[in-house]
Amino acid sequence: MSVSHSHSAEAHAHHELSFLRKYIFSEDHKIIGIQFLFSGLIFFLIGGTLALLVRLQVGFPKGINLPWFPISWGGRMSPDFYAMVFSMHATIMIFFVIIPLLTGAFGNFTIPLMIGARDMAFPKLNMMSYWFMWPAFAVILSSFFVEGGAGASGWTSYPLLASATMPAGEGFHSPASPHSGIGQICWLVALLFVGVSSMMGSINYMTTIINLRAPGMTMFRMPMTVWAMFITAILQSMALPVLTVALILQLLDKTINTTFFLPPGGMAFGNWHTGPGGGQTLLWQHLFWFYSHPAVYIMILPAMGMVSDIISTFARKHLFGYKPMVLAIAGIAGLGFIVWGHHMFQSGMDPRLGTGFMIATIMIALPSAVKTFNWLGTIWGANIQYTTAMLNALAFVAMFVIGGLSGIFMAATPVDVYFHDTYFIVAHIHYVLFMSSIFGIFGGIYYWFPKMFGRLMNEKWGKVHFVLTFLFSNCTFFPMHIIGIAGHPRRYYDSTLYRFLDNVQPLNQFMTISAFLLALAQIIFLVNFFWSLFRGAKAGANPWHSNTLEWTAPSPPPHGNFVQTPIVRRGPYEYGNPDMEEDYLPQAEPQPSGIPAPAH
Amino acid sequence: MQQKGWGIFFGVVLLAAFLSIAVGPLVGWWLPANVSSFGPDVDYLYYVILGFTTFFFLLTEVLLVWAMYRFAGRPGNKSQYVEGHHRLEMLWTVVPGGILLYIAIAQISAWERIKYQAKMPDPDLVMQVTARQWDWTMRYADTPLPENHRRWAEIPNFDDIYLPDELHCWKGANVRIYLKTNDVLHSLFLPQLRLKQDALPGKTIPVWFNATDANTRFNASTGNCEWTDKNKEWEIACAELCGGGHYRMRGLLYVHETKDDYLNWLKHAQKAARSRQPEKKATPVAAKD
Ligand SMILES: [Cu+2]
Ligand SMILES: [Cu+2]
Repeated sequence: MSVSHSHSAEAHAHHELSFLRKYIFSEDHKIIGIQFLFSGLIFFLIGGTLALLVRLQVGFPKGINLPWFPISWGGRMSPDFYAMVFSMHATIMIFFVIIPLLTGAFGNFTIPLMIGARDMAFPKLNMMSYWFMWPAFAVILSSFFVEGGAGASGWTSYPLLASATMPAGEGFHSPASPHSGIGQICWLVALLFVGVSSMMGSINYMTTIINLRAPGMTMFRMPMTVWAMFITAILQSMALPVLTVALILQLLDKTINTTFFLPPGGMAFGNWHTGPGGGQTLLWQHLFWFYSHPAVYIMILPAMGMVSDIISTFARKHLFGYKPMVLAIAGIAGLGFIVWGHHMFQSGMDPRLGTGFMIATIMIALPSAVKTFNWLGTIWGANIQYTTAMLNALAFVAMFVIGGLSGIFMAATPVDVYFHDTYFIVAHIHYVLFMSSIFGIFGGIYYWFPKMFGRLMNEKWGKVHFVLTFLFSNCTFFPMHIIGIAGHPRRYYDSTLYRFLDNVQPLNQFMTISAFLLALAQIIFLVNFFWSLFRGAKAGANPWHSNTLEWTAPSPPPHGNFVQTPIVRRGPYEYGNPDMEEDYLPQAEPQPSGIPAPAH
Repeated sequence: MQQKGWGIFFGVVLLAAFLSIAVGPLVGWWLPANVSSFGPDVDYLYYVILGFTTFFFLLTEVLLVWAMYRFAGRPGNKSQYVEGHHRLEMLWTVVPGGILLYIAIAQISAWERIKYQAKMPDPDLVMQVTARQWDWTMRYADTPLPENHRRWAEIPNFDDIYLPDELHCWKGANVRIYLKTNDVLHSLFLPQLRLKQDALPGKTIPVWFNATDANTRFNASTGNCEWTDKNKEWEIACAELCGGGHYRMRGLLYVHETKDDYLNWLKHAQKAARSRQPEKKATPVAAKD
């Protein structure tokens, strides 16, 4: 009697949710994941538009006047405006697109489903973690309209350009840049909110993965996506406090005139002198990179996990070297905490420190190499199904190789003397963050879209989108290596002033044109996404014949995810067993009779 | 058949990318000619890394493209049923690990030579470079090597001259620069010298170089330094974001053929500076017009 009563009460609770509770203030991890997905995609459009403005200026610093192009344009943006545009492009792409998409959207959506949990460990905290993004959204967007404009000190916001402040009583103007006034304060506040949001997310992910795994889901039966999210959450929870401290210190410098980043002698801006300080600009660089180097892995490890699962699924083959893959992620995360100084080789810190950071940094290429070889091992002897998700995942591998290898040039301190802060680093970061992370995100969207919305995305248009994106993104970002080799400094408003860059100037135009074509190709994705949302083919529970637990739940899964808590009987990669009729064996499927169970 | 096309598509794009770098040296998309004594060390290490990375790029991408082509799925087919390979894992951990360790250790001596203060050669010529938004002020003593030069760099001296954006030295001289900034971070970048160093607020950072080639001659009759070769106009750039004018902190490097030529220029520059500003005390800010 009492059992049936509580059961009906629970069912009752699930059906009574109002629209507001179900879709806006939702505590359901899937809805929260989808909320992160939508806001991330909106900010992707904003960040992409800013990228086009950057390319417009860099490619055509004197305006557009091409014989073959119908539109000529003599208008130019101001140098300060240009600095704002590239600073906000990077800030938005990193803190409002890639991190929220990878950990917020995919972390939320996949973790409970893939470990067989009903929801996150702390659903309310999960909701808060999304709603803490909204003050950040509001502050960062309104910063474009405050006096002086949004921050323009790069996404790194190095003092004193970012932190220099007029004496108390003179308002929040900065002597260093018109954008370093209220705009910079907005930048700091927005990032503080993003940080708190990420912190709540990572605590939730760790707790959920440790405590809420379904019966039989041992740690070494977890899919790579979950492993990657788990290690990323640990990274985030250890690195974020340091960023938070740095942001607060700079906020204090900017608002109540503390001098954490102003050196003892004070500085002169034109004829105006600051008072004496008591700090060091290097302090910011250490604190900032102590977070932001691990952040690079926060922006790539989840994609690595997702890509591993996608590749194994569509290779119809066991993931090659599962445990080495897990160890490699753990190795990247561990080493990732002792390499931050590689951003500071030329900063004026003691060069002997540089030697130590260099060795650690070069060695971190090793786990990345191990991962790459294992992905190759996975598709070797496979039976590859070229879905759009698979193509994006393979593009991740192909491009991550380039991004990983180019990093070694800057890790090597003497070579970095030349390459530091040239376009070579811009190429490197875009091969890691656009060519790898974004292809991983696209792969994840095409792959989990049917689980999220119950419908499949259109494969034909998905492939058209992929081909154009792969082509034009390489045209946009690969030549950055070349102009970097020629010594082209990054963040330059007009490089035609320099004779040593004359030769590579045409490449700048080529990259700009490619960037606009790349942007146009994304329209195909957006149309496909929204069209499929309403008109896509019905997916069914397991359209890809995948093994992981989320595919045993209905598409889309109801509140509470599983009709029956799954019992996990094996690892996630049982594909291609020659003794069986089917080429896959889901994790929760009972062992078919006559087929020997694997050892783990 | 269509399935196999994906491997070819990947292969074509990757090949085009590879070729665009490979033709670089032929069409001038490459490192600018080196004129620094430690530049060959930097360039050598660059080529070492380029060699290894090119090898691993080709190895992994060729394997990827081949596998994409060869193992494109056919209906009714099944993949190989393997979970891993212990010996292979060892192989592709140990071999790249050894290579990476070699690359790392190979860097150390060049890095020490370029940046360690204790290893910098005794200077023949000392100057102070001060960055500000948005130019460089080069300060020269009345003699190439003032006594107690570390102290000299900290205390303004009446006989010093200040020149905007012009860095003079002579071929073969061990030049010591004391690098400072007046306001925000900047970074002194001389591509042909393979030299880069941030200027840090509140600090004086010693930097050294030795130019192995000359590009200018002082013409006493005109009072100008003339380029000996139109293609040797070596530039100074700023490599650390310092505000809106970051891109226009352009300076020029004048390497005189001999010390005498340098001294002739210095004498002339001193005279010109005195006649320009007879009674003003020279400070980095006041010396600018
Ligand atoms: Cu880093
Ligand atoms: Cu600058």
